[in-house]
Parts: sequence; structure tokens; C-alpha cells
Amino acid sequence: MEAFEILTPLSIILCILGVFVGIIFGAIPGMTATMAIAIFLPITYALDLIDSLGLLLGLYVGGISGGLVPAILMNIPGTPSSICTTFDGYPMTQKGQGERALKVGITASLIGGAFSLAILYFFAPVLASVAIDFSSVEKFLIILFALTVIASLSSGSLLGGIFSGFLGVFISLVGFFADNNQLRLVPSFLENQLYYGFALLPVLIGLFAITQILQEAEKGMKTASHQKFEFDKKEKFSFKVFKGQWINTFRSSAIGTFVGILPGVGGSAASILAYSQTKNFSKNPDRLGKGEPEGVIASEASNNGLTGGALIPLLSLGIPGDSTTAVLVGAFLLQGIQVGPLFITQNPDLWSGIVWALVIANIVMFLLMFLAIKYMAKIVFVPKQIIYPIIIVMCVVGAYAINNGVLFDVWTLVLFGLAGFVFAKIGIQVAPLLIGFILGKDLEKYFIDSLKGSGGDLTIFFTKGPIAIVLWVLIFASIIFSLYQSWKSKKTGNDIRNAA
Amino acid sequence: MKKIWVFVLILMLGAVLAACGGSSEEASSDAEGSDDTTKVDISRVRVLIGSSSTGGDTYQNADAVTRYLEKELDTNMKVDAVGANRAFDELAKAKTDGSSIMFFHDMSYLGVEYGSFPEEYSLDNWKVGPIVAINPGNVFLSKADAPYNTMVEAAEWLKANPDKTITVAIEAGGVSQISFDGFYIWAKETYGEEVSSRIKAYITGSQSDKDQALWDGNVDIIHGAISSNVQYTEDGVEDKIKMKFLGVTSKERVEGYDIPTFAEQGIQVNGQDFVFAKEYFFLLPKDIDENFASKLDQGAAKVVENADYAKDLGVNAFYVNHYSLEESQAYLTEKRDFMRYIIENGADLNEITAN
Repeated sequence: MEAFEILTPLSIILCILGVFVGIIFGAIPGMTATMAIAIFLPITYALDLIDSLGLLLGLYVGGISGGLVPAILMNIPGTPSSICTTFDGYPMTQKGQGERALKVGITASLIGGAFSLAILYFFAPVLASVAIDFSSVEKFLIILFALTVIASLSSGSLLGGIFSGFLGVFISLVGFFADNNQLRLVPSFLENQLYYGFALLPVLIGLFAITQILQEAEKGMKTASHQKFEFDKKEKFSFKVFKGQWINTFRSSAIGTFVGILPGVGGSAASILAYSQTKNFSKNPDRLGKGEPEGVIASEASNNGLTGGALIPLLSLGIPGDSTTAVLVGAFLLQGIQVGPLFITQNPDLWSGIVWALVIANIVMFLLMFLAIKYMAKIVFVPKQIIYPIIIVMCVVGAYAINNGVLFDVWTLVLFGLAGFVFAKIGIQVAPLLIGFILGKDLEKYFIDSLKGSGGDLTIFFTKGPIAIVLWVLIFASIIFSLYQSWKSKKTGNDIRNAA
Repeated sequence: MKKIWVFVLILMLGAVLAACGGSSEEASSDAEGSDDTTKVDISRVRVLIGSSSTGGDTYQNADAVTRYLEKELDTNMKVDAVGANRAFDELAKAKTDGSSIMFFHDMSYLGVEYGSFPEEYSLDNWKVGPIVAINPGNVFLSKADAPYNTMVEAAEWLKANPDKTITVAIEAGGVSQISFDGFYIWAKETYGEEVSSRIKAYITGSQSDKDQALWDGNVDIIHGAISSNVQYTEDGVEDKIKMKFLGVTSKERVEGYDIPTFAEQGIQVNGQDFVFAKEYFFLLPKDIDENFASKLDQGAAKVVENADYAKDLGVNAFYVNHYSLEESQAYLTEKRDFMRYIIENGADLNEITAN
């Protein structure tokens, strides 16, 4: 078998180990695939390139996949790209379907990973060439398209959701602005701490984990209903759940892969975009966000779709598709190998090795997680007064470690935890705020780059070319559809109230 | 059930410790190559680098030198990619025992001169050195089909085409801006403002951003590095992304590459050839323990003699370049003062930024 001719036994063992460690990193709030790779990077110097890639690709796939565990079981996204998994995953857990949700997520992850791998293998050079045609204008429009999900995610008040989204964008702009070397929106006494703005991970886990713990503390840490009964008494997992979801699965995998291909468009945008499109195309959009496997499938298929996608520009152009693959560049450079347009043709064995390592990593990820689920899922039965202090410790350590030991990141965690608690009371919605925060910087960067390239001409956003026009059509369709859904659900609510 | 929980908690704790401990497991504590003269008293040295990337040249150089240096000093050295501002901030607060030191390149003083970093981070406020490596490969590139083949030809092309402009992608406040300023001043002195006023800057960030700006058609020339851009100049690369080198700012041509230097092309500033190459060095707290500083200096002197270190640098087109701790301060101060003239006479980005 070709795989065993190219991969050494050590590289396969390291790949399996990488997946295992990666899953743990992904599952701990505040620790990410990027972090796992960065930590293990120096070790790879002592290894052959193929062995080190086995380890790092295993960490990559494991790290991206592990994020679904706390997202589903504890409503805390383990990684930024699993934020949308919380929307339906945690409600499923609350309905006593935690194990089912995990299995749905893991299977969707495998399909997403396999899909992107196939695209990587068969179309890498062609798609990399297409990716170059996406200039800053198209990237700005893609980010804008992802932001339209705010309209459909807004719970209760649409205006409140949009305001929260803008607030998130505003917060993302705090810090150093590279175009004029100036700090902005930073109080003078925090200039050193906020030089690079607020770090994403502490904000994310603060708003989810710490806020949730404060809310539970306010309620007295009572045992929730889903902690009282055995898992999946009512609905067991079956692969039949994917029946009727194949279009969703492949659309989400394709969105994940496609966003991964575009250099500079963050990985979180993939799952946000996939989730919003699933909501737009769903037969029951009202039920999404309330515990539908459909939502978990969208989020997980897309964020694993990202893995193969992000490697396409890396291996075909030398440009990393996301922050994690940017760290992978370091592994190549430490070995003196420059990835670029001729990499695949000049290094056919290495290229095959990468593909096979990814195949193994995806299969191992699926097996490890699927087998471990029944143990993992029991975490929801741990009494809150025991699990929450552990989560707080992990969040604090994760926040401290994310930038190699910056104490201000811990303060950021606490600040946003408290802010999230207050936000919930005054009608500011956390999910749109976070989406605005995640996408805000890229939105600004590509907006400004587009204007710099066009000499300040705003019409460039409409005249750049056919891709831009198609994206505008999608953006408007998405907004109109969301508004229609919002109006329809409000009308249904009124009708029910009138009938009562 | 309890056993499973204990196992899971141990795993999680292990991951947490791994995250905090970083790469220390890789760091060697064996004393191979070390003798008592260079053995330091501390068991761990944190090396903060002025870049937040683990894929860039700063990390590669820091990784290479610390891998050899930790053996000489018989300690563990850990490279932390925290970014320039955080690294300076932590260095300012660091203990004087050498447990936290910084490793960076010329941007450490260029950033201050350009106003990207506050004055308190000036070279004068640190003990600077030793210098351990050089990257001579700072280049300018254009698309392969550009109507000029060198930077001088680009200026002449502007002169011959009064309705045209040339936009150059650079990063503000760093190595690429100083090289751009060198070219800009020379063009202004040689061809007058009629030409220099049509040289525009496009401020952007990473190398990938600069490459993408060229492919988007937003700029005509980009600043880059031989090691990361040579791949786009090779035969077989499709036309859409193909680039060509227009000039390198090093003193002499870089071996193995047919790229004319600025000096060869006649690009001079203030009567001197414009020469600039990025050098990598340590920055230490001003009142660092003399014993530690001396051992670091001696240890680095041994590392630069090590053929394996040179070989490791060579794979990414970096070279050994050594100035002792004592020599480094004077050398870099002189280099900064020459660059100060260029910065003071260079282009005002507020005026020449493409908009």
C-alpha cells in the first residue's frame, strides 16, 4: 500500500499521538490547534520532515475536532471555529441528547475532513490559482456575507442583534493600527496591555464560560434537568440522522473548504457562513438554535472542511490559509523546505505523505472520539460545584498561555466574563457580539485594502467583477431571507398568543 | 468510573502544563559542548522575540541560535513569539539575572526611529548584542512582465512615462520602509520631485499580504526576502503569479542568485552606497548581571564557530555574522545613526501613501 511506502512507522505513530493530544487541546477551553502545533514545533527539528508532518497534521486535525466536545457538553466552544456548534449542540445536551450530538458532530467532522482532503488531493493547484482571483474586494464581501448570520442569529430583537454585532466589530478594532502606526480606542494607562487589542480566545471563553458560570452561580448551581436522566433514553444516535442532511453536509463541507482556500479569511468565518446558509436553506429554520442535529452538522462539517482547504494555498502557493497552517510553515522552514507553487511537483513523495497523513489523522480522529464518547459525555453528570471550578482553572491557564504568558489576557477573560453577565441583563446578545468581534478586524483590513487598491473609489465594491456581483446577490438574499424569517416567526408567535 | 475521571484529569493537567511549559521538553540540559566558563547559574532562559509568528525569519534565527547556545550555557532556552511590543515591555520589567532576554533584528531601533515603538525602547536603554546572524536577502520584486528589470530602470521608466505611477508595498516602520526610503531619496536626488512624487507607498503587513497585493494589481513593486520569494521567480511558475527580482540591498550579491545590488545599480544616499541587511541580535536589560552577559557573549562566540549552526542558517539563506557584546552596541548605534539620516529625509507616508 502506497501509504506505508511513504510514511514511516514512526510518522504513523506520531500522527496517532498528535491526533490524541490535539483532541485534548481542542477540548480544553482556551487551547487550540494552533497552540498545540506551536508548542510541538521545536520538537520537530529533531525529526525527519515526514515524521514531523505526521505529528503536526495529527495535532491539526485533532485540535480542530476536539473543540466540539465542550461546545456540545458545556456550551463552551473549545476553539473559535466551534462557536456555531454550541448553538444546537448544547441545546441537544439539555434535551438529554449529548451523546447523540457528539456522534453527529464527529461524523460530520469526518465527512468534512474527507471532503476537503479529496478536494486538496485532486484540485489543489487549480483551486489555488482561483484563490488568487479573490482580491481584497471579494474577501471583504465574503466577510460581509458571513456577518449576515447576525440577522438570523438575533434572538428576540433584530435591532439588538445588529447593535451587538456592531459592538463586537468596534471592540475588535481596539489596539494598534498598522497603516498609520497609531494606537486607537486605547486608554493611555492601558497602552502596553492593549497594544495588540483584546486577544480572541480570552474574549471567547470569557463570554461563554465565565458568563455561564456566573449565571449558574446566580441561580444557585442547581442540578439541571439534563443532569438527572441517562443519556439518549429517548433518541439514540443513528447514521440515519444524516438522511435528508446530505446537501447540508456537503454544502457545509464545501463552504469550509472554500473559506479555507482563501488566504487571510479566518477559519471561524467558515463555520459561521456554513451555519447561516444552513439556516437559510433549512425547512425548519425556526428550530435551528434549539437543538437540531442540522446545526451541529453544518458547523462541524465546515470547520473540518477547513483543514484540507487551508492547506491548498499553503502547498500550492506558499501562503497559509489560516492561522494554524501559518504555524505549519514554520515546520517546513525549520527543515529548510520552502512551500510554494512548485512544491507539489518538486516533492511528490512529501506531497503524498501529507495526503496520507491527513487520511490517517481523520480516521484516527473519528475512531478515537467515537470510542471515547460515552466516557466524555458523562462530564455533564459531574456536579456543577465540582466541574465549574475546574473549568475556571482551565480557562485561566488557557488564557494565560495563549500568548505565551500574558497576564492581561487573564484580566480580559474576567472582564468579558463579567461583561457577558451584564450584557445578558441589558439585552446585548453575546453570539452576534462575538461574531462581530471575530470578523471585525478582517472586515476592516479588506475594506481598507480595497480602497487603497482603488485609489479610494468606493464603487470598486460593485465594479470589481462578476464574483463581487454574485457575492452582493448572496448578501442581499441572505439579509432578505433572515428578515422574512424574523417577521414570520414574530407573526406565528402573535397568532399563537391571539389564539390563546 | 473514578479511575477514568482521574485519568482524564491527568491528561488535561498534562496538556495544561505542556501549554505553559512550551518547548522546554525539547530543550536540552545535557552539558555536551559546554564547559564551566560558559555555564550559567539559571536553569531556564526565556527568549522573547519581536515577532508573534513562528513561521518567520526572527523565529527561525532565534530557534537556531538558542538550540546551540543552550548547550554552551548548560541551561534551557525557550523561544516565545510574543511580538515586539510585548517583548520590549517584558524586557523592561525583566529581572537582571538573564532569565528573560530578547532576540530581534534591526526593526528594534527602526521602529523607534519611525515612531512605531515608544522612545523608551531605544537601543540606548538596553545592553545590545551579541549579533549572531545576518539576512542579506532584502529585495524588491515586481511581476515578471513589468516593463523594467531593476530599481534604477523602474525610476527611468517613471521619467519616460510622466502619466504613470509606481506603487510599492511595504510595512510601515520596519526594514521594508528603510529600504523603500533609500530608493525614494535616491530617486528624488537623481530625477527630482517630478519623478519621486509619482512613487507611492502601499502600507501592508506580512509577506503574504504584499504578495497578494502584487497579484491583485494593487501595487507594482513589493519588498520581500530572497528566501520566501525565490519560489515565485522560478521557471514553471504560472504567469499569473510569476515575479522577478529588481534589486537586493546587501553590500554584495547574494551567492547563488543573479540579483544586482542597489550599490551596483548606483543607488546612493548622502553620497554613500545604499546598503542594508537585516542583522539578528540579543537585547538584554541595561543592568543585566555582568556574569550572565559575559557567559552569553562567550557562548555565542562558540556557537558562531560551529559549522552545524552555519549549516542550519544556510538552509534558509541566512549567514553567520558575529559581533561581540561590546562591539555590537557601537556597531548598531552607528548603523542606526546612518539610518536616521534616511528616515529624516525619507518619504512622509502620510503624503505618498496610495489612496
